[in-house]
Amino acid sequence: MPNKVFNVAVFFVVFRECLEAVVIISVLLSFLKQSIGDKNPKLHKKLKTQVWIGCIGGFIICLAIGCGFIGAYYSLQKDIFGSAEDLWEGIFCMIATCMITMMGIPMLRMNKMQGKWRIKIAKSLVEVPKRKRDFFRIGFLTRRYAMFILPFITVLREGLEAVVFVAGAGITTKGSHASAYPLPVVVGLIAGGLVGFLLYYGASRSSLQIFLVISTSILYLISAGLFSRGAWYFENYRFNKASGGDASEGGDGNGSYNIKKAVYHVNCCNPELDNGWDIFNALLGWQNTGYLSSMLCYNIYWLALIIVLGLMIYEERHNHLPFMKNVQMKHLNPGYWIKNKKKNEMTEEEQEKLFSRMDDLRFAEDGVIEESGTIQGDATESSGPDKKNAEVSGKVVELATTNTQEKSNDSQNSSSSQGRTQYWH
Amino acid sequence: MVTIAAAAASRRMLSVLLLLCLSGVAWAKTHRFEWTAAWGSQDVDGVGVRPVITCNGQWPWPDIRVDKGDQVEVYLTNGMNDSTTSLHFHGLFQRDSGQMDGPPMVTNCPLVPGDTILYNFTVADQVGTYWYHSHTAGQYEDGMRGLFIINDGENNKDYPYEYDEEVVLSIGDWYTETVTDLSKAFLNLYNPTGAEPIPRNLILNNTRNLTWDVKPDTTYLLRICNIGGFVSQYFWIEDHDMTVVQIDGVYTQPNTTNMLYVTVAQRYSVLIHTKNDTNQNFAIMQKFDETMLDVIPKELELNSTSFMMYNDSLPKPEQDVVDELDFLDDFYLTPLHKEEALGEPDHRITLDVVMDNLMDGKNYAFFNNITYTAPKVPTLMTVLSAGDQADDVTIYGSNTNTFVLKKDEIVELVLNNQDTGNHPFHLHGHVFQALIRDVEYDDALGLKPVSYDPDDHAPFPEYPMIRDTIYLRPQSNLVIRFKADNPGVWFFHCHIEWHLLQGLAIVLVEDPASIQASSSQAITANHLSVCANSSTLIKGNAAGNTDNFLDLTGEHVQLDSIPTGFTKKGIIAMTFSCFAGTLGLVTIAIYGLLDVKSLDNVAFNIMSGGAPTVSPDDKNTSAQELDEEFEAKQIDEMLEKSEAQKSKLLGKFKNIF
Repeated sequence: MPNKVFNVAVFFVVFRECLEAVVIISVLLSFLKQSIGDKNPKLHKKLKTQVWIGCIGGFIICLAIGCGFIGAYYSLQKDIFGSAEDLWEGIFCMIATCMITMMGIPMLRMNKMQGKWRIKIAKSLVEVPKRKRDFFRIGFLTRRYAMFILPFITVLREGLEAVVFVAGAGITTKGSHASAYPLPVVVGLIAGGLVGFLLYYGASRSSLQIFLVISTSILYLISAGLFSRGAWYFENYRFNKASGGDASEGGDGNGSYNIKKAVYHVNCCNPELDNGWDIFNALLGWQNTGYLSSMLCYNIYWLALIIVLGLMIYEERHNHLPFMKNVQMKHLNPGYWIKNKKKNEMTEEEQEKLFSRMDDLRFAEDGVIEESGTIQGDATESSGPDKKNAEVSGKVVELATTNTQEKSNDSQNSSSSQGRTQYWH
Repeated sequence: MVTIAAAAASRRMLSVLLLLCLSGVAWAKTHRFEWTAAWGSQDVDGVGVRPVITCNGQWPWPDIRVDKGDQVEVYLTNGMNDSTTSLHFHGLFQRDSGQMDGPPMVTNCPLVPGDTILYNFTVADQVGTYWYHSHTAGQYEDGMRGLFIINDGENNKDYPYEYDEEVVLSIGDWYTETVTDLSKAFLNLYNPTGAEPIPRNLILNNTRNLTWDVKPDTTYLLRICNIGGFVSQYFWIEDHDMTVVQIDGVYTQPNTTNMLYVTVAQRYSVLIHTKNDTNQNFAIMQKFDETMLDVIPKELELNSTSFMMYNDSLPKPEQDVVDELDFLDDFYLTPLHKEEALGEPDHRITLDVVMDNLMDGKNYAFFNNITYTAPKVPTLMTVLSAGDQADDVTIYGSNTNTFVLKKDEIVELVLNNQDTGNHPFHLHGHVFQALIRDVEYDDALGLKPVSYDPDDHAPFPEYPMIRDTIYLRPQSNLVIRFKADNPGVWFFHCHIEWHLLQGLAIVLVEDPASIQASSSQAITANHLSVCANSSTLIKGNAAGNTDNFLDLTGEHVQLDSIPTGFTKKGIIAMTFSCFAGTLGLVTIAIYGLLDVKSLDNVAFNIMSGGAPTVSPDDKNTSAQELDEEFEAKQIDEMLEKSEAQKSKLLGKFKNIF
């Protein structure tokens, strides 16, 4: 039974998260190389080791947490679900669909992903909040082991996200076993690592992109299937509840499904009973009964995806959505307004400044990060409410006294320790 | 209740005289009963009061006892306001009185509320334990049933076996709700497997935990009759043997056993000789055949204990638990009056038993893919109104599963059970010989149903067992034979009331010409008025067509079968889904590959630490990279550039690692 050995959804989730981790590592390594490079091979090597250790450390912790999570899930499974198993299956299918849908598209924009991480990493390198530096010399340690902590935290955070995905995607497969996890996780890691490797060590970008397109396509096939299956499970749950759980033991034949709501039914090919068909179930959401709701869900999912992709293509060409000059895709996301992300947006100019500042970062012999740029600014210089102003004068600032780089929420909040809380917008 | 009629109508007189000659009995009596069936309430099993169908305001219905040759007149009035009703005397041949058999739309019209019908017949040649019950829609499970015992001679003096005392013991099952309520949930889209309702208790003599005071060293004739509607029961008495001497009114060679398996509607008369000493009391045990239950509720008592009391001063016995259910296989009983197996059949009817769903999602029962669907005209009325065409099976409808039997032919019924359940089948108007009853083929062991092969079968018994109700084992087969020597319209059906509701029945029209010719089989004036009151057609074919009996337009038919594969709407849905999926994948591919142009540059810009822009002029990165105006020339340039960068970087990385 493939379900007991290889969980396809898990594979793709791990693969995708692995790609993300590879991007992080590569951005850091390239930064190291650029800032130290051949100037100090010893330090370079040391910091490189830190990056790798940080990554691997974060990864191992993630893996441990993930295993614990999944183990706990499977040991509790029976108690939690009981007779409402189909209901839970349906809910998990829907959750997994949402998650896969959200994370799939960005996979097709490796450059954007890279860009995102460059900015994130640059920010965290340049804008070390003051508070962290002051207590117990943590600041010093932070700086000294920034090349460890940064990938460690990042990988851990990304990895935990993956754990949630993996658990969510994995448990949606009916009759799935804990034994269905290790193999897809390992294979996903290898595949992700390989793609990452190829990404930076040659191979045609075009063929890589084709590879990504194919894997994304499969991911969305799975996702559409999950969505349809979610609806199917809800329907099945209702039928089983009304029929006292009789239908589930009915095999393939008449009476194993609600004839009143079925669009089609074949007396075979039951993914839960017949070998082979469970692969179609996992990949394409195949069920030997097509309920009206599950068929509609499948089609609506694709329709929605096509519309969204169409809008994204349009936006990439025209930088806004059709008929709405000032509206971009991200503006439609409620989280954008809730988290007030607009504040964090950077113009090209700001980004360039950020990167150039990052270019100025230097490492001391002991691995402590220093900004080697002009050490002339003072704390008050860029504290004005005008963001632009802050940016212009933001060259500045020895790391030890930096408190004005308040472009991110984090730094803004931390700056309140100086009693100079500022809010823009 | 029992009245001795001195002299009645001349016709009755005639039959009395005839019987006097035949049996040598001094007096043939007429028993007249006036019964009104109406709803009442009763706590039957001590669990709670529920509605029951009462007889003249009383419950239970009386057990009646007549002598062989007596005449019976039952005036049944329907005092219920919500249902039609009927009465069937189970096991009686109704020779020359087939119209008194009772099943609505087979021989009779339904009796509507307020109306009265007279069942008037003579029990000419039968003795033993019988019973009567409503034959309408499972009604007897609401209590409308009683025993009907025919003495072999006055006071049963001609009984071929010696006994001291006679005791009647009806066993049965009892439900929490009425059949009407249970049927709604049973024949339901949400009961797709046709799981039968579970009784809440086994009862005996219409109660539970009964006490039977016995005398020591006494032979009792115990008449056991399962008047339940669903489950078969194991029956045994702790430490007492039972000698079977009669089944379904047929005397058998004595056969001693310690356990019986009694399906609904089966009767066993057994002799029990009590012990000499009185220092112990014994348990009378009833046990569910739980394999018939779809689920076994936790609170259900599978074993039900009653008490055989030798000595009242001693405590009642505990229940008797047995290691195995080693019961008498009735197939191996031999009739007392040995009757050789009937010869090769003139008419073989092979019936495949299947339970399946139709388009309304409900579970039905089928003989040869036909679920019995009552015609518009009672089949007996069709026979009587069809004239010469009564021999043509077509006129009885395509959905009534009717077979026409010729006079005196040997009929063989072959039952192949494709279902995993146990089915007690009952034939009206006859007893039959059981020639083959195959073993169970348990689907839990992966076995498939086995059908009877006329050319390759186990040898028939020399003197086959004879009875009127016989069970067919799961996925097994059964062969019975009888001689078509009793003109009439006879129902053959599963006696599990739920299965009858699901349509597990056929109709045998036996010797229609003789039915038409017999004046005693004519529909009585009373019966005709019952038909008129219930607006039932009394002439015509199954569709009620009187002009052309072969025209069945408008007959009642079953719903369509469920298709096993894709239908039109399924194909459309599938096509749409495939189309949507393909279109979606194409969109993903377009979106993904739009990026290829820019990817090479951007990725490497990152590697080299620069801003993710293609060129200083082109600040709006990805959005504008995708512009159609993006020249191929530029791409080439950049590709060259990136190739150069790539090799450079590769070299560097090699140094790094």
